[in-house]
Amino acid sequence: MQYFSRRLFGLLSVLVAAMAIAACGGGDDDDDSGGGGGGSSEATPSGRTGGEATFAYASFPDYLDPALSYTVAGTQALYQTNMPLLTYKLAKGEEGATLIPALAEALPEVSDDGTTYTLTLREGLKYSDGTPVKANDFEHTIKRVINLESGGTSFYTGTIQGAEKYLEAGKAKGDISGITADDATRKITIKLTEPSGQFPYILALWFSGLVPGDTPFENMTKTPPPGVGPYKITEVRTGRGFTMERNDQYPELPGLPPGKLDKITINQVTNDSRAITDVLQNKEDYFDDPPTGDALREFREKSGDRWRPEVTNSTYYFFLNNRVKPFDDIRVRQAVNYAVDKRALARLFGGTLEPDCNFLPPGMQGYQKIDPCPYGDPKAAPNVEKAKQLIQEAGAAGKSVSVYGNDEELTRQVTAYLADVLEQIGLKPQLRIVNGDVYFQTIGNQNTKAAAGFANWYQDYPHPYNFMFLIDGKSIQNTNNQNFGNVDDPEINRMLVEANKKDLKEAAADYAAVDKRLVEQGYIVAYGHRILPFLLSDRLDYKTALFHPVIQAVYPTFALKG
Amino acid sequence: MTTDPLTDYQAEAPVAFEELAEAEKERASGIGPWRLAWRRLRRNRTALAFGVLFLLLVAVALLAPVYADQVAHTTPERNRIADTLHIGGKEIEVVSFEGVPTGPTWHGQYFLGADGNGRDVMVRLLYGARNSLFIGIFASILTTFLAVTFGTLAGYFRGFVDAIISRALDVLWAFPVLLLGVALGVSLATGGLHIGPLTIENNSIWIPTLIIGVVNVVYLARPVRGQILSLREREFVEAARAQGAGNVRIMFGELLPNLMSTVLVFFPILVANAVLLEAALSFLGAGVQPPHPSWGTMISDGLRFIVSSPTQTIAPGLMLVLTVLSLNIFGEGVRDAFDPRARVRLER
Repeated sequence: MQYFSRRLFGLLSVLVAAMAIAACGGGDDDDDSGGGGGGSSEATPSGRTGGEATFAYASFPDYLDPALSYTVAGTQALYQTNMPLLTYKLAKGEEGATLIPALAEALPEVSDDGTTYTLTLREGLKYSDGTPVKANDFEHTIKRVINLESGGTSFYTGTIQGAEKYLEAGKAKGDISGITADDATRKITIKLTEPSGQFPYILALWFSGLVPGDTPFENMTKTPPPGVGPYKITEVRTGRGFTMERNDQYPELPGLPPGKLDKITINQVTNDSRAITDVLQNKEDYFDDPPTGDALREFREKSGDRWRPEVTNSTYYFFLNNRVKPFDDIRVRQAVNYAVDKRALARLFGGTLEPDCNFLPPGMQGYQKIDPCPYGDPKAAPNVEKAKQLIQEAGAAGKSVSVYGNDEELTRQVTAYLADVLEQIGLKPQLRIVNGDVYFQTIGNQNTKAAAGFANWYQDYPHPYNFMFLIDGKSIQNTNNQNFGNVDDPEINRMLVEANKKDLKEAAADYAAVDKRLVEQGYIVAYGHRILPFLLSDRLDYKTALFHPVIQAVYPTFALKG
Repeated sequence: MTTDPLTDYQAEAPVAFEELAEAEKERASGIGPWRLAWRRLRRNRTALAFGVLFLLLVAVALLAPVYADQVAHTTPERNRIADTLHIGGKEIEVVSFEGVPTGPTWHGQYFLGADGNGRDVMVRLLYGARNSLFIGIFASILTTFLAVTFGTLAGYFRGFVDAIISRALDVLWAFPVLLLGVALGVSLATGGLHIGPLTIENNSIWIPTLIIGVVNVVYLARPVRGQILSLREREFVEAARAQGAGNVRIMFGELLPNLMSTVLVFFPILVANAVLLEAALSFLGAGVQPPHPSWGTMISDGLRFIVSSPTQTIAPGLMLVLTVLSLNIFGEGVRDAFDPRARVRLER
């Protein structure tokens, strides 16, 4: 009996080992994406398939509707659930800025005059609920963005023929004359008002993520619309989190692997110290907000090879509302620029902010370092006396100004810093801290009349206009306004129109000129660009996880260790 | 535990017979109740010591501007993130490049160190004391005014008036006070309060004062109502009515003076509760708004640096403990001084 048991045990052990080896081998041998998140430049979809992970978000997404969301918390998820016609190569660095077809068969054919784009939808696509994808769904998708007065509206009304008229008509079921589609041939034709070098990137935005043609014209955050993507959102706990599960209807798309994890549960964890501790203890697998203070220090010391700094194409700045006194006066705006100490702000960010004078980030085409900075070296002490003098000259001393920030870690502190600076130069700040879940909607509403406050921007796509639309007069809206400072400079507007007609390489110098004027006129107070620590729990395979320059965390590349 | 049918609060078991005998002797001596209470309080050295401690805390809070100006040479909101100090022959970065604030220098400037924004912790502690004590005391005054008013009206008129007021108090009683405070605080934190001609800016400390003053009304209104229900049946009230006194005269002239001892007993405990509630609301972002300091906001802000700079959290926490402890112990002493037979607790 004993001898038989030993033999049986040995046989079972061999069987179990064989099964384990087979499971660890992975099923992606025929996937031709190469590279990993840490070493080579492309995503390596290895790591174990299956399992569940839990992520922590610092705030609940503004929306979980691809037509509306405009925060990293929302878009990181929606990129994986509602893919557009085009998307980006899953690679790091400059290679990650390359457009590839997603739901379209190929990159668009562009007419000689640059105003007509033709794409063909891939055959046999289905949404996550099994509904077939139709070519006409594209127009419905864009209509929702415009009709709901989304923050992304101006991307389409500023480019597609008939989109502006559709917006003005205010009828949900109206027609956008510049978009035609044939469900039978799956052909989609888009006519632009003028050539636009950034339009292919607009097609790759999550706003353009297809939704079924019967998706209502209302905010669908509580029941997100189905899409085509590696994941689908299966549960929403508003204000607390949501759940994503692997989408069984997701087809094989070259360069766009399916998700590895079966299920991702996302919880809102507002305290970053707690979230970091949870990641270190493997209770959470990923935290979307960079840690600060002791949490950052602890993570650097304890995480070993589980984190790396990722330079982002982002800009942190203070907006100054040109429609609210006294910031309609250039002297007051310049005074604030003179007084802000960028070295201090870099310290507030724990060394994860690169001080700069420019609005465009260094990784963006069109960036030309403004040297010398009109307000002094960003790495030197500010000129507070000059600032005070300008305030006196403008007669703005003692004027009350509302200063807005949200309750997230660092934003609160940064806003308190701005309030102190304004106090020092002679203004009277009224600090207003708003819940992070509704912050951008609040300052983007003209009725709020926010005079100044915190803002930041991470590139939506690798084109300088993606930053410049934040200060383009054309993009001002009554609600969901992203031009928080209501910047409407005729010279800047003109330069942007001209730049947008040209090829990006030709237009780079124009964008640099816009950047310079923006800073000289003091329309915004740019103070730096963020370096984000990308950190994961020990459960996840760090080498395969990709932090994309545009999409940021690419969830389909997250996998449990084999 | 016995329940006194005349009041709505629970009384603990009666005191020892010897203490009761001593109290009865004192009453029989003919000394007025106020002098009697003062005599008893003077004998209670523990209560007196904590009373003096509280007064010291108040004095220190009142001297905050003097300290800030003359000793620390700064203001509670002043950010000095990138500054370098020369203290004791050493160069000290107020906030390091990694974002870690300096610890205690034990000198005039940054005595207890800096917070993440380079602000002086000691200065903010003292100004926080001003804000926390201001809110605690004035909120309690508001609570007392509202509670005495509604409790007296309910207890005196009974019937329909009592029903309306008591049901309103029941509704208020049903809400967890912290949740109610947070809901009100968050909703007023952005836009402020605008009722007719009354306008209070969003970052005014009158906002948390009003909120705390209102949500704590129930704690006192019900005992007051109970007292009035009992007092209105006493002979002196009947006598006043027989002499032709109207309702207003009876309430103000006969009943309210007899309520004073109850109010005095409750007041220190109300202040302690209000200070604690303010700290909780501010910790949660629904109380004192930045950049104004409060012990609650200081504890919340200091959590990021709990390891590298623990004074940011420990100092306001300690102040909170001392303040609440001194008020509670002194309050118990006042209660014992007025009526050694009754042990009062604020309960939900």
